[in-house]
Amino acid sequence: MKRRGRGIACMWYPIGFTVSANPSAAVVKINEDGTATLLTGTVETGQGSLTILGQIAAEELGIATDDVHVVSADTDATPMDTGAIASRTTYVTGNATRLAAEKAKLILFEVAAPMLGVKPDQIEARDRKIQVKGYPQRNLAIGEVANHAQVVMGQPPIGAASFNPATVALDPETGQGKPFSTYVYATQIAEVDVDDETGEVEVLRIVAAHDCGTAINPMLVEGQIEGGISMGIGFALQEEILFDDAGRQINPNLTNYIMPTSLDMPEIEVDIVKSFDPTGPFGAKGVGEPTAVPTAAAILNAIRDAVGVRITSLPATPEKVLAAIKAKRAQQPKRIAAG
Amino acid sequence: MANVTLNVNGEARTASVPPETTLLKLLRDNFNLTGAKLGCDVGDCGACTVIVDGKPVNACLMLAGQADGRDVLTIEGLATLDGLHPIQKAFEDNASLQCGFCGPGIILSAKALLDENPAPTAQQIRDALAGNLCRCTGYTKIIEAVQDAARALRGEPADKAA
Amino acid sequence: MATKTKVAAKRAPLETLREADETLRLPAITPPVTYPLETLVPEVRHQTPAVGQRATRPDGRLHGLGQTRYIDDLAFPGMLYAKIKRAGVASARIRSIDTREAEAMPGVMAVLTGREIPVNSFGPSLKDQPVLADDRVFHAGDGVAAVAAVTEQIALEALDRIKVEYEPLPAVFDPLEAMKDDAPKVHAPNGNIYATKVIRKGDIDKGFAASDHIFEGRFRTQMVEHAPLEPHATIAMWDPNGRVTIHSTLGRITLGRADVARTLKLPINRIRIVATIVGGNFGGKNEITQEPVLALLSKKTGRPVKGTFTRTEEFIATTTRHPIIMDYKTGVSKDGRILARKVRLVLDGGAYCSWSETTLGKACILSAGPYKIDNLHTEAYVVYTNKTMTGAMRGFGAPQVCFAYESHMDDIAAALNLDPLDIRLLNAFEEGSPSPTGQVLHSVVVKDSLLQAAQRFGWKEPRS
Repeated sequence: MKRRGRGIACMWYPIGFTVSANPSAAVVKINEDGTATLLTGTVETGQGSLTILGQIAAEELGIATDDVHVVSADTDATPMDTGAIASRTTYVTGNATRLAAEKAKLILFEVAAPMLGVKPDQIEARDRKIQVKGYPQRNLAIGEVANHAQVVMGQPPIGAASFNPATVALDPETGQGKPFSTYVYATQIAEVDVDDETGEVEVLRIVAAHDCGTAINPMLVEGQIEGGISMGIGFALQEEILFDDAGRQINPNLTNYIMPTSLDMPEIEVDIVKSFDPTGPFGAKGVGEPTAVPTAAAILNAIRDAVGVRITSLPATPEKVLAAIKAKRAQQPKRIAAG
Repeated sequence: MANVTLNVNGEARTASVPPETTLLKLLRDNFNLTGAKLGCDVGDCGACTVIVDGKPVNACLMLAGQADGRDVLTIEGLATLDGLHPIQKAFEDNASLQCGFCGPGIILSAKALLDENPAPTAQQIRDALAGNLCRCTGYTKIIEAVQDAARALRGEPADKAA
Repeated sequence: MATKTKVAAKRAPLETLREADETLRLPAITPPVTYPLETLVPEVRHQTPAVGQRATRPDGRLHGLGQTRYIDDLAFPGMLYAKIKRAGVASARIRSIDTREAEAMPGVMAVLTGREIPVNSFGPSLKDQPVLADDRVFHAGDGVAAVAAVTEQIALEALDRIKVEYEPLPAVFDPLEAMKDDAPKVHAPNGNIYATKVIRKGDIDKGFAASDHIFEGRFRTQMVEHAPLEPHATIAMWDPNGRVTIHSTLGRITLGRADVARTLKLPINRIRIVATIVGGNFGGKNEITQEPVLALLSKKTGRPVKGTFTRTEEFIATTTRHPIIMDYKTGVSKDGRILARKVRLVLDGGAYCSWSETTLGKACILSAGPYKIDNLHTEAYVVYTNKTMTGAMRGFGAPQVCFAYESHMDDIAAALNLDPLDIRLLNAFEEGSPSPTGQVLHSVVVKDSLLQAAQRFGWKEPRS
């Protein structure tokens, strides 16, 4: 018989490396027409980081996403970056990108100030215009200013910057210190059916509420969460590298190492929790890894809720779940001990 | 060496290859059609999916010789000079692909489904894509895009908030 | 659209118009690719402000058209194919490697062994991993020799002709066994515990003494593979200026370049790494694998050399997620407040350190959960075993400890007859809460996430 259960799990997760320096650098070049090019040494590995970094540069320059072209992943052409690791790209490379864009933008402001008859600090960049703060009707097209800067004034608007998260080394005795600059938080709730005759677990629904600071691109944040959940489901129920007695892997292939398919995915509902981190680019933190963190815990708690057994080792395969159900039945009158 | 002649994306192509050559190798190495990917080489992952005579197949499991005289559609033949195929458009609009490596295979599996069944349920889409592994997306936005594409191909307006 | 045109009815195949040079493996004629001539960009990419927009990805269009060029999609004239022979034994001394028969094979252009690598060790923290095993084999997936040949098939056949003599050595596979004094030492003379971490806060004994209930539990997790759809792939090209260009599936090109420079004993400015677009990472493509091998094979042959891992190599020869054995002991008050917690973590590090130190640190810091706990003691160990190395994987130990602390939390809630949501809200961090390391936390929204998820799920609604 199928038994329904639900389980909740929350988590916290840091952005960036543990104490050790993990800087990123970026270069932003504003072209003569007000479009821009961003150079970054990070690598697009699927997360959408180049789109996010383009949006951050565009935001700082007051232009649109499509106005920024991102060049990446070539050690000859792009500046140093610690890379696509530790959920750090939006926060660390994002901060470097914002700072580089700001430097390039300030060159535009210097050039635009006499054109607008104000001081550079009275100027802002918005909607592809360089305009006087509080007097948006006093404006110039960003392309006009950029062209003037390069062609007339001989000041190409190029900015370079780097960023490294602020940390404090941990005391070796007590572990006290500030290992990370910031953290994200999340909760996932799973609803499952457990077949108490076969031990099979079907994940029906997962509700995920994730904090990533400002969502630079909510569609890509959702994609990260949905993908993280699929990896969490594999971790909870299916995936395990097995070894023989001689230390050789038994199942090093996708035939016998079972990862989630489209048939294993539940209905997923995503909420992006409202939050703003003043240390992140436009309040953003990150989202890559944390999405895969609470899923297994939520599913395992849902299994316990459904059939009253605590599986203490992953993955919760049908064999393991069924064995636990049988063991519980064998000692039915007894109360189940915690742990 | 075996001589094979087949119709790839509407164009007659021929090659002389060792008999053990797979259709995937033929497409990638001889015709430089690299859209079909090698992910496992044993038919587990579906990254090499192409459409042969209207049916999705794992090109890593089909010998080049078996494709002799048949019609093969690869991802490179799906769009036209006028526009993206509605499935490609829906995948772009929904950000359905992340690293993208599974994408060509998944899009062709989806095309084979929609050619047969213009109004599939979500479960039918899941069934049709079950042989295409994706590690990035959790399939969610992929399934949504196939539904969007199905609507577009039926000539219905998009049913999406925002 | 696949048309039903009969092949014979078409005009002559393009190949008959130009003879393909099979030996150079030149693509006969690049086929026509169809994609829209007009570039129509979705409106959302034109909107300002840019932040907050559901902007589409420019790479997304290329992915959908099959036009993204991953490393394995690239080919250069005269390119050779490399394959690496895997040890297949978990712990052994290499007595001899005989490559003569392989080298004599037609089509084999070069063979490489570990002894030819200028500095045969690398690693993100401890440099304990050989590029190719030379003297010792530490796990069954270790590479022992590499071949570059004109076809992949010939390279594979050549691997079979390389004869390696092994002297089997004692091995240890269980991390708890490996911690014992008399266990075989994986990297003798060093002990198997290669990193530890401790966090102490408050007074754990007082905390337990003040507790109304004490709960204990042991939790274990398994070894997991990243399984990106794209296998590791590299193309190395050594040029006449002594510069090497390496196209490779690396998520961290800056570190990759430093590692290649170190192993090849080259100045950094003579190395170029291009990663283009990587087909999935999840932590598994954060360090070099075959790059120095291919660079040296290219140097030996004067030709570009490509190597693509098989799916099996993805499992046995790249990093995996750490299995962790997690012991929890928690003291709580009658109403469910956590007063003290002791955690002990043992991480199975596999044969090499890789990103274990980072994983150890994050697992240790995060293991208490997002909860206010005044009295805390966490200790964590990572140990060598003769298994596939464990390294960075999405979450660096966090999915493992979250499984433990959240399972433990529900067991406590059940014993105290508390709602799992309520016990979490009672203990969760708030703005300004101190973390286990004493850091004052900012922009803390764990309670918001709990409440929002519960609301969306209908947690407090009556259950059917």
